[in-house]
Amino acid sequence: MNPTSDGLTVTDLHKAFGAHPVLRGVDLTVPEGAFVAVLGASGSGKTTLLRILAGFDRPDRGVVAVGGAVLDDDRHHVPAERRRIGYVPQEGSLFPHLTVAGNVGFGLRRGRSREQVVGHLLDLVGLSALARRYPHQLSGGQQQRVALARVLAVRPRIVLLDEPFAALDAGLRAAVRTDIHALLRRSGATAVLVTHDQDEALTLADLVAVIRDGRIAQVGSPRGLYEAPVDPDLAQFVGEANLIEGTSGGSTVETRFGRLPLRGGGLPVGQALTVLVRPEQLRVAPATPAASGTAAGAPGVTARVVELDFHGHDAVIRVVAEAGAVPPLIVRVAGEVNLAPGASVTLTVDGPVHCWPRPPAGTGASPPVAVLAVDSVEC
Amino acid sequence: MTATGVAAERPRHAGLEVPARRRPLLWPLLGTSAAVAAVLLTPLAFLLIEAGGTGAGTIAHLIWRPLTANLLWNTIRLTVVVTALCAVIGTLTAWCVECTDLPGRRIWAVLVVVPFAIPDFVVSFGWASISPWVQGFQGAVLVMTLAVYPLVHLPVSASLRSADPGLEDAARSLGAGRVRTFLRVTVGQARGAILGGCVLVALVILAEYGAFEILGYQTFTTEIFTEFQVSFNVPTACALSLVLVLLSCVILGGELPARGGGRTQRTGPLAQRARRRHHLGRATLPVEAAMLVLVGLALGVPVGAAVYWMVAGGSSTLTGVSVLDAGWHTALYSACAAALATLAALPVALLAVRHAGRAGRLLERSTYTVLAMPGLVIALAISYFAERYAGGFGYQSSVLLIAAYAILFFPLALVGVRASVAHAPVALEEAARSLGRPPRAVFLRVTLPLIGPGLAAAFCLVFLACATELTATLVLVPTGVQTLATQFWAYQQNLAYGQAAPFALVIIAIAAVPSYVLARYFDRLPGRAAAAP
Repeated sequence: MNPTSDGLTVTDLHKAFGAHPVLRGVDLTVPEGAFVAVLGASGSGKTTLLRILAGFDRPDRGVVAVGGAVLDDDRHHVPAERRRIGYVPQEGSLFPHLTVAGNVGFGLRRGRSREQVVGHLLDLVGLSALARRYPHQLSGGQQQRVALARVLAVRPRIVLLDEPFAALDAGLRAAVRTDIHALLRRSGATAVLVTHDQDEALTLADLVAVIRDGRIAQVGSPRGLYEAPVDPDLAQFVGEANLIEGTSGGSTVETRFGRLPLRGGGLPVGQALTVLVRPEQLRVAPATPAASGTAAGAPGVTARVVELDFHGHDAVIRVVAEAGAVPPLIVRVAGEVNLAPGASVTLTVDGPVHCWPRPPAGTGASPPVAVLAVDSVEC
Repeated sequence: MTATGVAAERPRHAGLEVPARRRPLLWPLLGTSAAVAAVLLTPLAFLLIEAGGTGAGTIAHLIWRPLTANLLWNTIRLTVVVTALCAVIGTLTAWCVECTDLPGRRIWAVLVVVPFAIPDFVVSFGWASISPWVQGFQGAVLVMTLAVYPLVHLPVSASLRSADPGLEDAARSLGAGRVRTFLRVTVGQARGAILGGCVLVALVILAEYGAFEILGYQTFTTEIFTEFQVSFNVPTACALSLVLVLLSCVILGGELPARGGGRTQRTGPLAQRARRRHHLGRATLPVEAAMLVLVGLALGVPVGAAVYWMVAGGSSTLTGVSVLDAGWHTALYSACAAALATLAALPVALLAVRHAGRAGRLLERSTYTVLAMPGLVIALAISYFAERYAGGFGYQSSVLLIAAYAILFFPLALVGVRASVAHAPVALEEAARSLGRPPRAVFLRVTLPLIGPGLAAAFCLVFLACATELTATLVLVPTGVQTLATQFWAYQQNLAYGQAAPFALVIIAIAAVPSYVLARYFDRLPGRAAAAP
């Protein structure tokens, strides 16, 4: 945590509704100009966090500061209207009695400059032609763009986005998402997006903060989060994951797939490990009678194809190893696939893998490998 | 109107995220709402105090008489028959206007609602004055059905308008025929509205005085009025009032199971679909004829009779105030009461919509108990109490009349205000605040424009009801003052039809304007709802 003076800093934030704690000590730093996604399942407290940042709710404990100025702590509470933090709600919440131009100009003082700013922003979001329409005459995507323009008009220090794409249908979502991302980039605003959609978080954000049970479980770049999640649960939450057993060999790990390079490394030799293998790290080849030596140099595992989901650009295959303790695995294959359920294949692992020390059997932690086995068998 | 209704009005995709909101203004709202609820309960308290003063033995003795059984039979059979007829007529007219391609349906939509604006006693006067056979039970059934079926038509047409047309398509594709689809899906979706309308009809019949007095049909209300105003027999009036209130409570209770069950769910707010209308085809002509007959009977006869008497009826030796004078007092009292009721409804509506907690719900419910108090009973309780216990304070003053109006029609105001508050969701105010606007500016520029039309509608609703109120007015009107209704009544009672007629026509005109405004307002509601998901 490096508290930058210009960004947003949240320290040890607590909030409970009645006896039900929602935030239990959230720490988060958002550098100025960054686009941060707060990713969490429903009920994880992400909307509560956003509402506190916006100033609609007061935290029970903790500090919220922007640019070094405290907005919330034990004694202070700056009301929403004096925070200069813009809020784009899930439903857009456009004022139904005002036109598009009226909505965008709502936060501005009367005068000639208001019209200029409104015109400029409507150009920016590409809705100049619709300035005189009312919100109910707009599509969902247009409503969201107006909501964003309305917020940008008051030049906020931070823009908060509360699942702004959730109410849109899938076809529209990708396009609106790209639009809004580009608009925010162009405006240079610091943005915090709350979402439960990991795709959305990984594609849009510079930094992703995963919130779980009212705490930030991990903050990192999308790539870092995907490649090195802090625990097996998070690995499964962010993308698909195969979890296999292994034993540490220092900077490598010994598995059914042979000796694999470790990302990071530096674990004591002989330590029992849970190894994360992403579906696209698995390579599939038609099984050969002598399947012990393959191109990747590691011994392969012979497996049988159980199911094949064709996605056009790639395919997802579920396979069951013919021998040994390896649970059913998910494999992502790019391009053309000439496999049918029942086919026998040889699996190898490509690239360095991430791993965590495996708790000895019988200690409290959940057995991730067994959980995964159940997960991936479902067809 | 329950918590489930609130949840339906405010869809949140991550519904689990926010178990409760921080509640600014909760305590002031609770306080004012509690005060309003307390005031609304005073008539019932007065009634019970009076009954207590009379003594339980005497009350029981007064109730346990053949008279009570006779009144009970008269009241109940009329209520059942009229409510059933209204349910059928109101649902059919609503369906024809909202769901079919009936030619001229926009005009019909206005015309079938207008009879609601004509007070029951004016309808009754119109029929009784031109045809002597309209009296007794049959007369009461005819007059009341024609006067109050819009109470079913209005909520049902609103419900049909907001219903999901996809459900009918689904039913048809599942093999249900047109009739079956209509009964199972269309009526099924509207059943909460139908039942709600029926409850209102039944309550109106229990409370009606003027119409039955003209028709010579004896119900609890007419008997209570006679006992109190003519015989000055307070204990009997009090005892009968208790039975009447109990009856109203039973009817109100009948609506409870329907609440929540009658709620309709729409598909997503962005999936607005145009409604496809049913093709009437060869049924068009008969339906048009039926509508014409209905409007002719409900609207044409009362208006026609009043016009006829205005032209034909000569003068009499009776003297009274001018239409202008009576109209001024009617407008003054009604406007004051409407403003008071609307203002009092605002905190209760805010509490119920914004803070759907147990206390808020309980307070809101408690205000609806006023519905079980017929206007006459409220007027009697207030007037008797002022005379007896408050040392005559305010007795027969305009203050008391305005207060009685405001109490009597509070539920009406609450319905209108509640709907308008629901159209100004908190999310909009939050959005406005995060755009840098202080609370006062947010109220002026967001909240008020959004709830303003609804407040105006609530005001009109109460104004309309007050201007056409007769029973409580007869009891509480200040000495020497006549409103339109009481002056009309004085002439009518003395068979001075020619002099009564202009008052009847002015009452109809006064009542028709707000009801037109209301019809326009409720027409716009679905569009506004779509605009503020």
